[in-house]
Amino acid sequence: MDEAVRMDAVSKVYGKGRGAVAALREVSAGIPRGRFTAVMGPSGSGKSTFLHCAAGLDSPTSGSVRLGDTELSGMNETKLTELRRQRVGFVFQAFNLVSSLTVEQNITLPLRLARTRVDRKWLDEVVERVGLSERLGHRPAQLSGGQQQRVAIARALVTRPEVVFGDEPTGALDTMTARDVLTLLRETVDAMGQTVVMVTHDPVAASYADTVLFLADGRIADAMDAPSSDKVAARMTRLGAWN
Amino acid sequence: MLRIVLSTVRHRKAGFAGAFVALLCAAALVCACGVLLDTGLRGSVAPERYAGAPVVVTGDQFVHQTKIKKKGKVKHKAKAIAERAWLPASTADAVRAAGARDVVTEVAFPAEIGTAPDESWGHGWESAALTPFTLREGRAPAAPDEIVVDAATARANGLRPGSRVRVASAEPGSYRVSGVTRQALKDQAAIFFTTAEARRLAGHPGQVTAIGATGSKAAIAAALRGTRATVHTGADRGRAEFPGAERSRIKLISMGGALGGTALLVAILVVSGTFALSVQQRQREIALLRAVAATPRQVRRMIGREALLIGLAAGPLGAAAGLPLAFWLRDRFRGLGALPPNLDLVVSPFPPAAAAVAAIVAAVAAARIAGRRTARIRPVEALGDAAMAPARLGVARTAAGLLVLAGSVVLTIVLAGLHTEAAASPVTMLTALAWTVAVALLGPVIARAAVAVLAVPLRAFPVAGHLAAANLGAGARRLASVITPLTLMIGLTATILFAQTTTGRAAVRQATGGTLAAHVAGPKIPHGTAEAIRRTPGVAAVTEVVHSTVRVGLENYGVQGVTTAGLDKTMDLDVRKGDIKALDPSSIAVSTTAASRLHVGPGDTLRLTLGDGTPAALKVVAVYGRGLGFGDLTVAHDLLAAHVDDPRGTVLIAGTAPESVPTVSASTLAEDTASANAEVNYIAMGLIIAFTAIAVVNTLAMSTAGRARELAVLRLSGATRRQITRMLGGETLAVVLVAGVLGTAIALATLTAFGRGMTGGGPSVPPLAHLGVIAWGGLLAAAATALPARLAMRTRPADAVGARE
Repeated sequence: MDEAVRMDAVSKVYGKGRGAVAALREVSAGIPRGRFTAVMGPSGSGKSTFLHCAAGLDSPTSGSVRLGDTELSGMNETKLTELRRQRVGFVFQAFNLVSSLTVEQNITLPLRLARTRVDRKWLDEVVERVGLSERLGHRPAQLSGGQQQRVAIARALVTRPEVVFGDEPTGALDTMTARDVLTLLRETVDAMGQTVVMVTHDPVAASYADTVLFLADGRIADAMDAPSSDKVAARMTRLGAWN
Repeated sequence: MLRIVLSTVRHRKAGFAGAFVALLCAAALVCACGVLLDTGLRGSVAPERYAGAPVVVTGDQFVHQTKIKKKGKVKHKAKAIAERAWLPASTADAVRAAGARDVVTEVAFPAEIGTAPDESWGHGWESAALTPFTLREGRAPAAPDEIVVDAATARANGLRPGSRVRVASAEPGSYRVSGVTRQALKDQAAIFFTTAEARRLAGHPGQVTAIGATGSKAAIAAALRGTRATVHTGADRGRAEFPGAERSRIKLISMGGALGGTALLVAILVVSGTFALSVQQRQREIALLRAVAATPRQVRRMIGREALLIGLAAGPLGAAAGLPLAFWLRDRFRGLGALPPNLDLVVSPFPPAAAAVAAIVAAVAAARIAGRRTARIRPVEALGDAAMAPARLGVARTAAGLLVLAGSVVLTIVLAGLHTEAAASPVTMLTALAWTVAVALLGPVIARAAVAVLAVPLRAFPVAGHLAAANLGAGARRLASVITPLTLMIGLTATILFAQTTTGRAAVRQATGGTLAAHVAGPKIPHGTAEAIRRTPGVAAVTEVVHSTVRVGLENYGVQGVTTAGLDKTMDLDVRKGDIKALDPSSIAVSTTAASRLHVGPGDTLRLTLGDGTPAALKVVAVYGRGLGFGDLTVAHDLLAAHVDDPRGTVLIAGTAPESVPTVSASTLAEDTASANAEVNYIAMGLIIAFTAIAVVNTLAMSTAGRARELAVLRLSGATRRQITRMLGGETLAVVLVAGVLGTAIALATLTAFGRGMTGGGPSVPPLAHLGVIAWGGLLAAAATALPARLAMRTRPADAVGARE
């Protein structure tokens, strides 16, 4: 199958000597293109590190990460940044937006930083899709939490990235708002063929994905296709997530 | 990109206000100093007395030295002398022989009627044509007791032809006004005597102060080549007329330069601190930008552009504010007599332009220093609620800090070897600054060490103290950034204040200790009056003292001339070697510091240039200890009095002083001269202290305001306002303590070196005054913390927590 991201024997160790902590141990995994993948695991399982390494936010200690045909390991920070702004989009848990910029300025920020012309038609379509047409002139402080996450998703989509990464994108939202945001992500996969990878600890959120990867103790413990929240919850219980 | 920068600046007004204010003040200070410097370099004094003579010939007001360096390079150095140089009267013949017409000679000597202006001179009536002065009423003086006074003096004292008036001078007397002139000079009073009487009062037989003529400058200069005469035309004649203004001009150059340079250094230090703090507070936002798409270079450039924007706004505004500041300084200096009223400020577009550019460059440089950190902000920090990176000192910063530390040590050692005020003053400031920069660079390390010590007593207070200790420990970098400006302020203030006391106190102590006479009269007692006192019954001994400055080589030395008869009853110079009684007009006594610096001892010959440019070779007869209090050199009164503008001086009286002579205590005179000098420094350096105070308020307010969210979290978890106020109080106290210790250490190190060089002794730091400096710093810090904290706690904690920043 065509893979958007390919990780081979990726390890990440924080610290040195006796205080060293291995967050990832020889992880090999592929993220299929045009699909919605969720990454789950208990606290400390290495799921955030997995995301950081896959997205080029952090460099693995050893192993290889490929985004499409590009090998990420060995790239310097500037090269990684340029790669991120052209080919990757991000949605974080919170504090996604620059408070001094308007919604529109926040959405077009990556383009501006890359000195790329704004494609008006595409921008309008993205804004339309996330439902923010009326809010372009507002500042982040004037928006609700859900609306802020929509802005973040729009910003992630505006560069037509190969992959959109989400780090607990619904972690700071209430159930109803979270459902809207997850539906939006699902739509981008179904309607636009976008590849989405999302780290979450919420089985309901994971049930919106096509595939769920389970991480435990820095290793891939399991994978599940066509998940339901019950099945995910049961699997997580066996991994000892809620002890 | 520019739009992002613009909206960031607009959105974060508060954060940038600090940098803006600091840059504004720096630009104003640099501009004002620039105007002083410019005045020193290009300022000129318009001729008044000599306005009517196209060519003016005077003595050479400089000592010259030609050094032949290696590679055959010749370097010529000239230094101004302290008194007016006189010319042989025969010079006039040479000028006449050069084909000049209307050759007029002039003598000038201090002479006053009533309360006269600072410049009040007596002349012979033959030199009236130099201005020219013409008679409005009466006639020219014909008898030795007749004078003509200028219109202003006549008006001020109600004089008309026929009035009798007392004229104070080296030989005071009663004169009859024979005429009043039509003219008056702006900055000086003129009293005209007969030619013969003027020559007698001037006391320089066969010499003149100036020669005015009409003719070719080149021809006259050619005729005078090889003599010590100098030829002046145009505006240059003003320099010849006012040698005092010329000396002030030279002083302005060094003061303007030192002050402006210090202001600029302080500005970079302060502004880079402000920027660093603002970067630190925006860490999350910068991390987000990095995660989204910005390269470290773009972030650095963004911060650089923000700085540029602020510099562009603050620079020109501050430069404009610098001009009135320069005029304010001018008025203060004039009030203290440090700037003659006829030397006006040169106002040109250069100083404001230079100040504006300097502010912009300082802003960009500061942003560059602060921006180095942003490269280390990792994009991952934007994710979730990740804890901010702990303070870790970069290798480059540690290296730079250690380098500056080494530089400070070197400067301190250099300072200990400097003996003149002109050399030591700027180096003193530079040394204190260098130590502060080292503290700023190594701040986080120092802060962590200090916290480890201070946490112990803080923890004794259960709630607030515990929280304060925890905050200090977690925020070592924040702590470092607030400690720096406070350390700078305390260190700089103590250095400036106590450098004066270090030299002043030592001088006053020596002067008081060395003055055996019960009474001192002064400061302008003519020789005749001293003689009269000497003859009064009950007076055991009278010593006349005149002061001047001589140059040995090119270096300045303070000198006193004393009458030797009965000297052992009035003045104890603490003679270590030789015998002061042997002092005669061909010999000299030197202080121990001068002796070691000049490598002379009793029996050696010392070559020097007297205040009026006359060279002298004097035999050293004694070496004494109280050089600071009395001057580094001591010569016979008659020798020195013949080579100063005003031979009148102070009189030390042993025994019962006659009631007709007003006397003062011995220390007053020493203190007066010391304090006039000190006040000029206080005013100039006071501005820099005020500037650092602004920086302290700035940084602390910024730091506290940036913690609104954190304070809200504390309140939500149950802390009362009172507890939070106490917690902040504990933190501020710790900051003040650390800064107090560091500032004191810096000041002590600098002053010890300064004292060793200047006085050979230790520093004099009055403990109460020093505690006052620290208390003042504490007060500022407390106010700058409490007010923004109160503002931050005004919003409901729940709202403050919800706010995204």
